[in-house]
Amino acid sequence: MKSPWILHFDTGSCNGCDLEIWALLTPKYDVERFGMVNKANPKHADILLITGPVTKKCEERLRKLYEQTPEPKLVIACGDCASTGAPFMDCYNHNHGVNNVIPVDVFVPGCACRPEAIIDAVIIGINKWKEKAEAMETNVSHEDKIMPDDSPRSDQ
Amino acid sequence: MGDLTLYALAVFLTLTAPLAVGLLMGVDRKLTARMQNRVGPPLLQPFYDLFKLLGKERRLINPSQAYFALGYLLLEGTSLVVLAAQGDLLVVFFLSGAGSLFLVLGAFSARSPFSQMGAQRELLQILAYEPVFFLIIVSIGIQEHSFISRDMSQNLIVTLPLSLIALVAVLVIKLQKSPYDIAHAHTELVSGPLVEYSGPYLATVELARWAEIAVVFGILTLFWNDPEPVAALLGKMVLVFAALFTTLVIDNVTARLTRRRMVTFTLSFGIALVAANIIWNLYLGQGVGI
Ligand code: SF4
Repeated sequence: MKSPWILHFDTGSCNGCDLEIWALLTPKYDVERFGMVNKANPKHADILLITGPVTKKCEERLRKLYEQTPEPKLVIACGDCASTGAPFMDCYNHNHGVNNVIPVDVFVPGCACRPEAIIDAVIIGINKWKEKAEAMETNVSHEDKIMPDDSPRSDQ
Repeated sequence: MGDLTLYALAVFLTLTAPLAVGLLMGVDRKLTARMQNRVGPPLLQPFYDLFKLLGKERRLINPSQAYFALGYLLLEGTSLVVLAAQGDLLVVFFLSGAGSLFLVLGAFSARSPFSQMGAQRELLQILAYEPVFFLIIVSIGIQEHSFISRDMSQNLIVTLPLSLIALVAVLVIKLQKSPYDIAHAHTELVSGPLVEYSGPYLATVELARWAEIAVVFGILTLFWNDPEPVAALLGKMVLVFAALFTTLVIDNVTARLTRRRMVTFTLSFGIALVAANIIWNLYLGQGVGI
């Protein structure tokens, strides 16, 4: 897989990890070398880079974004928050990590996680891609799947 | 040239032109990256993207989305066939224009506000470049006394330099480059009319876009003619690369302008450039360069 398109979603992080993700797009790290592009659109995305411990408010949105991403897809939990929720331990308002809401494929440790570690995680993810694609062959139908949009009309 | 070689050439060009545009998109991304002091993706990246999209799950918002995507591809493909068969430029223009409307309809068929707004902006873009593009073709027709591209024999770059400049403006809009990337405006509309497409259908739309751009580049190549086939081919290639490079430089040194400024600019300066060229050629001199 040479073209991982990315969706970055912040589920209530302190923005530390988000800054590190944005650093990936700068000339210093330039992840477009690997074909990675930030698409900001779940329908185009292959890899979800999630930061933050998933607050209760965000839970539903994260689930929706996950559902809107077509198979095969990968979820990478970026940072300690997204992995375990540790930095916000004992808070009443979050889910203690992305894994408790949607299935995660790769965890990136660190508070904040280093950009190099995120690149590593994406490469590990890409290696898993083949498995995912094969699983899709058996699990997902080859027919068109109609998923109506429930967003309000722009003229209403 | 015999009829058979002509047909073979037409088929060959129709099949290879979109792929060549894909390669040009790769060059585009690489050069843009270099201009921004980055390494950039591999040259074949657009093809990797396309193949990946083809392998993804098939999802739609509604069934008509698929038909609009296929209609877009079909019309742009037909337009390219007519151009490759060295047919009538007006037919090429109208087929390609109808194709862009299918993209708009596809975007309108989804209820998402992003898609709706992208569709309306795409319509505005069509309003901005289509009259200029049409006039450029008319100016070629007046100069060559024919709209059939088989009959083209002059070096239009000498007689229609201002039309060529206007064509670069059209190219900037068609390639979705700054300052006129109004519809795809990735920072606010995500990707405009494409926002609700995914997987293989996004690939279809992308391929249709390559065909659409191939049509513009095809018309650009008509500006250079030479009785010697090798010299003609080289000249045409230099012209295409020069035009692409110019749009890239424009893309990298400008920020996005408002949609109103796009429409007023193309409809005033674009049309004025082509009109001045036509008037000069018809009434004031025997061609600018002669
Ligand atoms: S892991 Fe640390 S830096 Fe990252 S979002 Fe959580 S608190 Fe912020």
